[in-house]
Amino acid sequence: MKKALILASLLLVSSLAVFGQGYDAQPADALVFPFGVAGTPYENAELGVRGGTIHEASIEDPRGWNNHTAHETSTTQYTNLMHRGLLNLDHISGAVVIDFAKSYDISDDGLVLTFHLRENIYWSDGVLITADDVLFTYNDVILNEDVDCNSRDGQILPDGTFPVCEKVDDYTVTFTLSTIYRPILNSLAFNLMPKHKLAQFVHKLNPDVPVGTFNETWTLDTPLDELVGNGPYIVTGYQVNVSVTMERNPYYYGYDNAGTQLPYFDKFVSNIVTNQDVSMLKFRNGEIDVYGMRAEDIPILLPESTGKGFSVMITDLATYGTTWILVNQDIGLAEGTDTEKREIYRTVEFREALAHLLDKDTMVQNVLNGLGTYQWTGVSLPSPFYAGRDYYGGPITEADAVTFEYDPALAASKLDALGVVDADGDGWRDLPSGAPLEITINANDNTTRIAYCLIIQDDFRAAGLNANFQVIDFNTLVGDLFAATGDIILLGLTGGDEPNSGKNVYTSCGSLHAYRYSACDDPDEVDLRIDELMDLGANTFDLDAAFGYYKEYQQLLAYQLGYIYLCQPTFLYAHYDFVGNANLSSPTSTPGGNNGLLLELCFDKTL
Amino acid sequence: MKRNGLRALGLTTCAVVLVSLIGFAAVDLNDIVANELIPEISKAAGLALVADYTLKTVEELETLEATGRTDGIRLAANRALFSLNAREMELYAMENDALVALAVAGDQDAANMWFFKNRASYKRPELVEEYLLTVEADTLAIAAGKVLGGFYVPGSPLGAKTEDELVELAKNGESLGLRVAAATALTAFWNTGQPLTIDQTRKEILSVVLVYPELALAYQGYLAYLFSL
Repeated sequence: MKKALILASLLLVSSLAVFGQGYDAQPADALVFPFGVAGTPYENAELGVRGGTIHEASIEDPRGWNNHTAHETSTTQYTNLMHRGLLNLDHISGAVVIDFAKSYDISDDGLVLTFHLRENIYWSDGVLITADDVLFTYNDVILNEDVDCNSRDGQILPDGTFPVCEKVDDYTVTFTLSTIYRPILNSLAFNLMPKHKLAQFVHKLNPDVPVGTFNETWTLDTPLDELVGNGPYIVTGYQVNVSVTMERNPYYYGYDNAGTQLPYFDKFVSNIVTNQDVSMLKFRNGEIDVYGMRAEDIPILLPESTGKGFSVMITDLATYGTTWILVNQDIGLAEGTDTEKREIYRTVEFREALAHLLDKDTMVQNVLNGLGTYQWTGVSLPSPFYAGRDYYGGPITEADAVTFEYDPALAASKLDALGVVDADGDGWRDLPSGAPLEITINANDNTTRIAYCLIIQDDFRAAGLNANFQVIDFNTLVGDLFAATGDIILLGLTGGDEPNSGKNVYTSCGSLHAYRYSACDDPDEVDLRIDELMDLGANTFDLDAAFGYYKEYQQLLAYQLGYIYLCQPTFLYAHYDFVGNANLSSPTSTPGGNNGLLLELCFDKTL
Repeated sequence: MKRNGLRALGLTTCAVVLVSLIGFAAVDLNDIVANELIPEISKAAGLALVADYTLKTVEELETLEATGRTDGIRLAANRALFSLNAREMELYAMENDALVALAVAGDQDAANMWFFKNRASYKRPELVEEYLLTVEADTLAIAAGKVLGGFYVPGSPLGAKTEDELVELAKNGESLGLRVAAATALTAFWNTGQPLTIDQTRKEILSVVLVYPELALAYQGYLAYLFSL
């Protein structure tokens, strides 16, 4: 990104995308959303008109335009608008629904899924989308080990095999499973990529290019007119540190039930800002139209809302996602350093001590103004599989929650028992050998995370731990996460209803098993049981049975303290009233940000 | 916190002849802002004209800010310049000490920005109320009051007050900051419910402006909203 900054003045990349002419009429196989139809999730959705531009903000620059090699939301928030898959999450309810597939069948034995594709639908450059694109994406990108693909882990079946994707005809594909795998429907919501544009970069298909070439495809240096998608928007402009512009895809197949092609807004502009406060100032000034609020924004925005023409949504809805700290249990492993520190970090009693120093009550009250919930598991609270429920989809009673109460005295006794004591009388606890123990806590420039870190730093220091908090750039932090550098990182992950979607995080060989990547080669008993439970939960269509497996898995995760969970804010949002259907925002989807499914349904009421 | 000295003078002499454009049949904001002598009403019109004023040149606005005939013209020009000069982001980039120095010297925008940047330390109404007990600069008290008003506004999850409580606080709150907080919340409350017409609001301003300046401020904010509709 430094290189990009140096070239910033020259990198004004704004080019006309290579768009086709669009459809002459609504395709027969269009995806039609039932606006206003009672009994559907869309019953409160208003029909809109096309036109206008919606503005929002993003804290970070994207790192590229390649959906399948992206590991960060700063990229996927755009690539998820450029591409759609066979299946998707419903834009309002979040349930798994058909998208580019117009229907699918499951064989009686549950092992063969047959998808029927929409016919005569085109990529944004006017090239027909066929089964070949599905096979290319699945077989040659996602399952291709030469590709650094984030979603491969989610495709693995319990027996270690992958579904076999085959073409039946130009508009029919099958996925054959070796075993029943309930989450396959979530996993098959992968975004389709255009074979005619990208096959040339895959060594497997084009031996003239080196292995791994695809990982360097559709980077920020790629001319934007090379980008092709099937989603509602395509990137047409990018200014480093300034903005990303996306324009409607004339060949998008989504329509409203009045015959209007979606998306409604012609253009979507994401202003890249340095932090959330700047985003909020821009929202107040009308420079951006929607804004994901924090609790500290309420007293600023609430009194201004009517006068300035925006609405403030304050709800008690638990949000998806997790916020956590992780203790890097592989610290110094690659370098051959920090051996004793690594041993201590790998000791669960040490992590228990840290967990007892997390004052979540203060975090919720002071940081979230009481508008938050405690977390103890990696499955989002709204999920029907959340282990705080008594049964699948049941009420949240937290009857079997595994929690570590804020108890500094208990934390101190655990540290003492480990020999992490102040050996030299300088006021700070040392490693058992007497060597100094210094702990850095890193988070990005996010006011909520910074506030959490300051509370944590204070409590750690009060317990005698020499902890020091540092703010670092988000993309650098993500880099540290993958490189297993640093002591403690505070970050968050997106979440959904399906626990199996966390496979890349919580299984011992997962690409985001960031607290201990070495577990892949050296798993302990808990790691192995977690891996087993993830498979068992996926290997049944019996939701109650699956709930049982996932409950045990979440409890083990909590005991293991790999990711140590904090709090999650309840859903807050603000939007200008002229943005039609923005009032349908919920934890499931909003017009912007990481879960921008609602965007294509929003429109300018002033037109 | 002492009251506005000019207001006290007006009250004691009782010699002010209140002249207003009350009863004006149609709302011509440019006419109001050019001729209205009651500051609160003039400013309300000015606030409603800020967007229009941003279409003027910086030179024009600087002249109007300095020498505009009425409070409303000068306020509209000031707010338009604030927007055009990107003053907000300039202030945001400043360190806290610099903002406080400006605030103490009378820069209300700097005071507002200082409180905005530090609001994470004042996430509950009682913390702002405590701050108001010791703050000395009026600008900082006003800035804090505006944020506190955000807690007091009906619908707030923390600290919401009723309209009656807010009116009483705007009239008789112990400090400038508390009275500004009440005014902020009242304006927001009235914007939502629109209980009064333009003419009724003007009358209310005239009835309270010499006695309860912050209550008049609340009506001013509401009137600005009505003017903008």
